[in-house]
Amino acid sequence: MFIGHFTEEPWQVENWPEEWGPGIIKVSNSEYDPRLAHDLYNRYIDEKIYAEEMGFDGLMLNEHHSAPFCLNGVANVQAAILARVTKKAKILLLGNILPIHDDPLWLAEQLAMIDVISNGRLIPGIVRGAGSESIAHNAPPHYNRERFEEAHDFLIKTWTTPGPFRWEGKHYQYRYVNPWAVPMQKPHPPMWVPGTASKETVEWAARHRYPYIMLSTQEEITKQMYQVYYDTAKEEGYEAGPQNLGYMFFLHVEETTEKAMEVGRTLTQGVRSPFDPGVSKPIPWILSPPGMNSKGAKAMQRQMLAFDSTGRSRAGALASFEDQVATNGMVVGTPESCIAQIRRIMETLRPGIIIFRTGDGAMKHEDQMRTLKLMGEEVMPAMRDIAKELDLPGPYDVEPAAAAAV
Amino acid sequence: MTTTPAAFTEETLQIADVSLQMRRGGAGEPLLILHGELGVPGWLKAYELLAEKYTVYVPSLPGFGESSVPDWLMSVRDLSAWTNWFIREYGISSPLNVIGFSLGGWLATEIATVNSALFKKMVLVGAGGIKPAQGEIWDYFMNSSREAFEQSFLGRDSEEYLKYYGRDWSPEEGDQIETNREGAIRLLWRPYMHSVTLPGLLPAIATPTLLVWGREDAVVPISSCELYQNGIAGAQAKIIEDCGHMPEMEKPEEFAKAVLDFLGS
Repeated sequence: MFIGHFTEEPWQVENWPEEWGPGIIKVSNSEYDPRLAHDLYNRYIDEKIYAEEMGFDGLMLNEHHSAPFCLNGVANVQAAILARVTKKAKILLLGNILPIHDDPLWLAEQLAMIDVISNGRLIPGIVRGAGSESIAHNAPPHYNRERFEEAHDFLIKTWTTPGPFRWEGKHYQYRYVNPWAVPMQKPHPPMWVPGTASKETVEWAARHRYPYIMLSTQEEITKQMYQVYYDTAKEEGYEAGPQNLGYMFFLHVEETTEKAMEVGRTLTQGVRSPFDPGVSKPIPWILSPPGMNSKGAKAMQRQMLAFDSTGRSRAGALASFEDQVATNGMVVGTPESCIAQIRRIMETLRPGIIIFRTGDGAMKHEDQMRTLKLMGEEVMPAMRDIAKELDLPGPYDVEPAAAAAV
Repeated sequence: MTTTPAAFTEETLQIADVSLQMRRGGAGEPLLILHGELGVPGWLKAYELLAEKYTVYVPSLPGFGESSVPDWLMSVRDLSAWTNWFIREYGISSPLNVIGFSLGGWLATEIATVNSALFKKMVLVGAGGIKPAQGEIWDYFMNSSREAFEQSFLGRDSEEYLKYYGRDWSPEEGDQIETNREGAIRLLWRPYMHSVTLPGLLPAIATPTLLVWGREDAVVPISSCELYQNGIAGAQAKIIEDCGHMPEMEKPEEFAKAVLDFLGS
């Protein structure tokens, strides 16, 4: 079992107008206060350091662009800091948005440096990104998948082939690929792929034997996507297992149920991710510009996000804090009750990777620190026992790429 | 005014590496229509008026309507090469007359820069392709399809706006509009709806050219019209008053008259 820690790292102010929602491709950066940002960045880094101390296996970072709900516009910057100030935990990037990079060689070198500085602790996950990332960096949405795949192939080749070599691709061309820095981990750092609803991406991850992590998705959709992974693995001639699959969900733990409900509620307040239940969505043509997603993925997205033509979530009324707790979208309670719910999730979905999303929304630093302590002292030790009992190996227990042939 | 559609035929051709949706009507000298970034919603009133004097050819360009698009086609310049290929393979005798709308105006211009002998006369309507001197080309991709149609018309009570756009769409129509957006994004994403090299090539054009612009064009500013006129030797301009980006749909009679006068002169 691999247990990760994740916070979206939202902007936190008292007076954020409701109609601004997540602020993605919408709110002017004249609202950005560097003094406040200084405090928030350092707070979030401090929480990561404490999460390592509390025994998390992985410190997960992500990035979004022109997006106040996620301060981490360049996750590699924070990854580089964690590479220096942490000692043991994996630095889990989920991940770099490959298609928006016009120069993946620069990315290959950044990631190699982070891997080297961290002594081989980097997991450089990769994503296609939401449409808003393509808009923010003016990357062509219709070539999103092609650029994702080509940039991936380029990264792997750059990390595994002695330079110099040439690269003459459809979207990327280099006459001299020979970055001085190469990764510590051989043959290359482990790739993981997170996602929400793109069947094509699940299939792609399974074909490459990369662990696939479902991000805050409903259980039913998570199950469907896991099945796609298992089926694709069979077609590829191997048996996928828990080490290939991950699941992220909200967790907040307190000593009493009352306190948990009172503080856990702040996860559903403040500047929140547009992908969360009840949060207003970016307008559909921003979230998914023409040509970016297949019709199937769009249908799945509609099912998940259920936005109407104005971009408002139809599920909004059903996505109150109480609803989310009741439907296990959020695990909130005492260590005992949380462990029981996590056990059920582990039994039902059988992931080898679990990432707790915590300290999000309007949650205060001291609340996050208190819940991290309880996770470290009570929840995670219990989970490790349950994982042994249920035989749920993580990707560092069983090498995902070395799965048994079927 | 008649609302009966004039006779036209529609067929699917396998031509120049594309499965091509082709509408055609009328009789006489050939007149090729290169449509804009929003595609062709049907046999327009303007086509009907032009078809009284000409054989009007309206292909759905690759990636639009029901036409396929080859993987290699990545830019308007690629599309101009494709169009040249299509004209030859389809057997339209040249030189031929051409009207290009918006994206299609950019496309016709690209062709004319490399082959001034292909077109007998060229009409550019609200043409993209050149960065305006004043204002910016309205960004389709930061707005919805419905907003794009609204933005393209000054008169939203005009007959063809109401007929095609200003109403609820069937699911099939909605899908088609989305497909056309995808076709447009492939060609126009960046630099957005213009070429950085085209202005330098305008003096290479020796084709008699008419520029038609709606005075109130809110998609491609009228300052682009002046740049075209300054760049193409002898180009004439016809400004249609009280009209937006699509005079062919908003003011079809006035538009057709301007074109017929020019082509017949």
